[in-house]
Amino acid sequence: MRDRQIPQERFDLIWALACCAAILFLLRLVNLQVIGAARYREMAEKNRTQVISQAAPRGRIFSSDEVAIATSKPSFSLIYFPGGDKTKSSMDSMAKALAGPLGADFETLRKTIYTAASKEKPVRLAENLPPKVMLSLSELKAIHPGIDIIVEARRFYPFGAYLSHLIGYIGKMDQSDWTARSKDKNYSMDSRLGKMGLEKMYEKELKGKDGGIYLEVDSRGRLNRVLESRKWVPGADIFLTIDSKAQAAAEEGLSKSISGRGAVVAIDPRNGAIIAFASAPDYDPNMFVLSGSEKESSSIGKALPGFNLALQGAYPPGSIFKIVTAAALLESGRVRPDEKFNCPGYYDAGNRVFKCWDKRGHGQMNFVEGLANSCDVYFYNAGQRAGALAIEKYANAFRLGQASGIAMLDENKGNVFGPGTRAAKKSYWFIGDTLNLAIGQGETLITPIQAAGLISAVANRGVFHRPYYVDHIIRSDGQLFYKASPEVLGTVELKDSTWSLMQEGLHSVVEEGTGKAAQIEGAEIYGKTGTAQNPQGKDHAWFVAYATVGGAPSRIAVAVLVEHGEHGASAAVPIAKAVIEAALREDLKAVNNVPGPAVPPQAPSVPAMGVL
Amino acid sequence: MIFTPKAGLKKSRMDWALFLSVIVLLAVGTLVIFSSVAVLPQQAKIVRTQLIAIPLALIVFGAAWSLNYQIYQDQWKYVYGILLVILAGVLLFGVVDKGARSWYRLPFFSVQPSEFARVGLILVLANFLDKRIGKIRELQTVLGAFALCLPVFFLLIKQPDFSAILITFPVVILMLFASGASVSHLAIILGYAFISALFPVLWSVINLNPDLLDNALAGYFFHLSDSWLNAGSFVAATAAGAWWLWRMSVRLYANVSGVYFAGTALVLILGFFSGMVVKNQMKDYQHKRIEVFLSPEADSRGAGYNLLQARIAIGSGGILGRGIFSGTQSRLGFVPERHTDFILAVVGEEMGFWGMLLVTGLYVLMMRRIMQGARLARDRFGYLVNCGIFAMFLVYFCINFGMLLGFAPVAGVPLPLLSYGGSNLVATLAALGIAESVYARRYALV
Repeated sequence: MRDRQIPQERFDLIWALACCAAILFLLRLVNLQVIGAARYREMAEKNRTQVISQAAPRGRIFSSDEVAIATSKPSFSLIYFPGGDKTKSSMDSMAKALAGPLGADFETLRKTIYTAASKEKPVRLAENLPPKVMLSLSELKAIHPGIDIIVEARRFYPFGAYLSHLIGYIGKMDQSDWTARSKDKNYSMDSRLGKMGLEKMYEKELKGKDGGIYLEVDSRGRLNRVLESRKWVPGADIFLTIDSKAQAAAEEGLSKSISGRGAVVAIDPRNGAIIAFASAPDYDPNMFVLSGSEKESSSIGKALPGFNLALQGAYPPGSIFKIVTAAALLESGRVRPDEKFNCPGYYDAGNRVFKCWDKRGHGQMNFVEGLANSCDVYFYNAGQRAGALAIEKYANAFRLGQASGIAMLDENKGNVFGPGTRAAKKSYWFIGDTLNLAIGQGETLITPIQAAGLISAVANRGVFHRPYYVDHIIRSDGQLFYKASPEVLGTVELKDSTWSLMQEGLHSVVEEGTGKAAQIEGAEIYGKTGTAQNPQGKDHAWFVAYATVGGAPSRIAVAVLVEHGEHGASAAVPIAKAVIEAALREDLKAVNNVPGPAVPPQAPSVPAMGVL
Repeated sequence: MIFTPKAGLKKSRMDWALFLSVIVLLAVGTLVIFSSVAVLPQQAKIVRTQLIAIPLALIVFGAAWSLNYQIYQDQWKYVYGILLVILAGVLLFGVVDKGARSWYRLPFFSVQPSEFARVGLILVLANFLDKRIGKIRELQTVLGAFALCLPVFFLLIKQPDFSAILITFPVVILMLFASGASVSHLAIILGYAFISALFPVLWSVINLNPDLLDNALAGYFFHLSDSWLNAGSFVAATAAGAWWLWRMSVRLYANVSGVYFAGTALVLILGFFSGMVVKNQMKDYQHKRIEVFLSPEADSRGAGYNLLQARIAIGSGGILGRGIFSGTQSRLGFVPERHTDFILAVVGEEMGFWGMLLVTGLYVLMMRRIMQGARLARDRFGYLVNCGIFAMFLVYFCINFGMLLGFAPVAGVPLPLLSYGGSNLVATLAALGIAESVYARRYALV
């Protein structure tokens, strides 16, 4: 059309506008579809998939004789998938129907369902469903679409409280756990993790890899189909150094003791492996796994840290400290072993009289007799001769006042006192302090695991190993992941004659002294009883001992503490005996069945390990 | 472009490039509609409507093509009369759907008269501009054109159907512009439209940020529409302000005509009243759309969420797309209005960048051919009609793409030929048929 009245260049202008718009749109499309494709694809995938994570079975925990202490068992959970054209009233009726069989509160159940519906996220309505409930639930499943039952692996401790202080327990994430692990894809808000003990220390190995059900949902959260079911990878199995029988003996002994409170630690002196680790009172870790007990478990969890008496209970050592004093006075050279001191039943320190535990007095005592009878007056005299500084030095040498180094949290270091620490505190040292120090009273505090380390060092002539309880870890694919190797923390250097004399003294404690009740047919027991005065109540009973069979190096050293047990001899000795018997049952059987001494010809008659 | 008789003589009566691009767009649209509704419960109804609408639309296309377009100019009074009658009738006899009384319920299907009104208005307007082309540079012509549109807009607001106004108003402006109207006159009109749109937007902004109310001026603005007293005070203040400024300019011997002051005041006042009417007629969801455009993060689960989901759908398509019938975003319902306003999101997801390129390219080709038709038209009326149809497609194209890609607010405007909608399809093909008719009867060919 040719028309001078219409400016046709204006149409060209509009056309140019259209072309500009088209180019602008195409550039934006390049930006979205070419450059941003991966990001938007990911967002689209996230939109349409929902994951129900299925907790992987945690690694199992075995004792050294392969008794399963912690396993996993299948457990059934009730899941609610929100979405669909669910009305409030249908959700209410569902909550009402479920409240009965689940034994849950209708209001809380309804609230859970409402929040799940508003967030459009699946939620676990109940966990650990008992079989009876499952039956009625599967009927309800047909009436109320949106609920389903899935299977998961749950922690299970077959023996309940057995070894609970070492194993620890698992629990739900709290705020601090979550902040530490929120970036870890293997954890979700409702996954469980180790809270105490071994479960916490070895969380990484035990955890495994969670599986999950990947669901396709539509925009209203309705389940469309199952996209993928990813299998979990179970956690690694941990094999402990614990001897199940010895552990059982220790726990039984503690529970039958007078107060029911105490601790037993048994160590293999050759390498520091822990054979038994018991503390009473204990708890059943299964109860932390049960659902609906979160409130309960958190209050118990807070009370627990002061619970592990073997590690966290510090007590005056009483007479078992005389082992340290003995080492000090023999090494100092100021007291001859055959030198006799008279015990009239008391010791006059000038301004104050110190009593012997036996008021009748022991009469003339040399070193071995003094140790065997635990004569306080002998140690008052000899300890004063040796000097408080020497005793303090050897207390430190025997690693009292230091953490044992076991891989557990919140270990108590105990306390060593002497002229050195007093000087550091700018305070005075009195003669009475020396006397108290010599017999293990006063400010000295040790934990049962330190006592076990002490007696173990006597058994192997001075070597301190780091106590360990995990022997090896095997991954779920059968590969050996970790094998423990003994680690020497330090050595107490004493003369050979000192060791021999001390061992002779400890042997006579059991043969004719205060620890007669520990004698075992076929084994040589070396021990020391202790009764620690306790200003708050009845005295604490101690017994530390080690045993050899047929001259071979000692395989077990044990420390027993019974709170308020009054006398080491009566309360603690039987427990130690039972533990040693259980631990050495194979050796004892061999020795007692074979007539005559079953000494291997090549074995040295004197244990020489640890002394170079 | 200079017309040469030779080129015209050899060409056929049908612009095949235009026709083919329309057919391909229609095929792509139908395929994507079927894909996007495959999982919807109303699938059967939608497929049936689409399958009825396509042959019907093609028949209408053929009829419009074979009919001489000049008849619309001769009978423009009937065209205008029918247009007003169907729009008025729908207010009386129509049924309400999505809050708007804009549908005739017929025995087998429903008809949306505003779709046809749009095409009719283009014809009436082309006639008007053709007649007044000699006086096109006068303000009266521009105002006359709007006076023709005013009853239509009024009836549309009564429905209310803002998206039809949103489409028609720029078409009118573009037609006036193309026929040579004075740019300053158009600016006055645009200023008026801007102010009538500004008031609802301003009120939405204040709604979004209530602490703005502490500001005395903002608070005054916000409460302007509450009562006639406030409105009257605004009118008086504007008039007084304009008068005062005019007096000042006279005192300062500034040589400015009083018409400008009066005009500015008039535009402000008229814009304010239109804005008030628009604001009061707007539905809640329409308020919401403006708010979402102003601050998308304020409402992540509502309209902003929908837009984000549509964008995710386009982006996730990538270059090659996820395949027809396999877009998760659209099939699982994350994309809203997937078979109507957001059909492009489905194209983008399932056919990828190449699909979008194809649709854009075909649209641009189609508009180019309509433009060519205008250039070859035998008379000014044909030129103006094709101009209007071109402008209509351009506005649809810009608003629909712009909305999806985040350049414009969510307007609820479909994309003709792709989106589902029987009335829209028939009206669109009628318009295309008229464009073909203009082409077929171009200058050289009898």
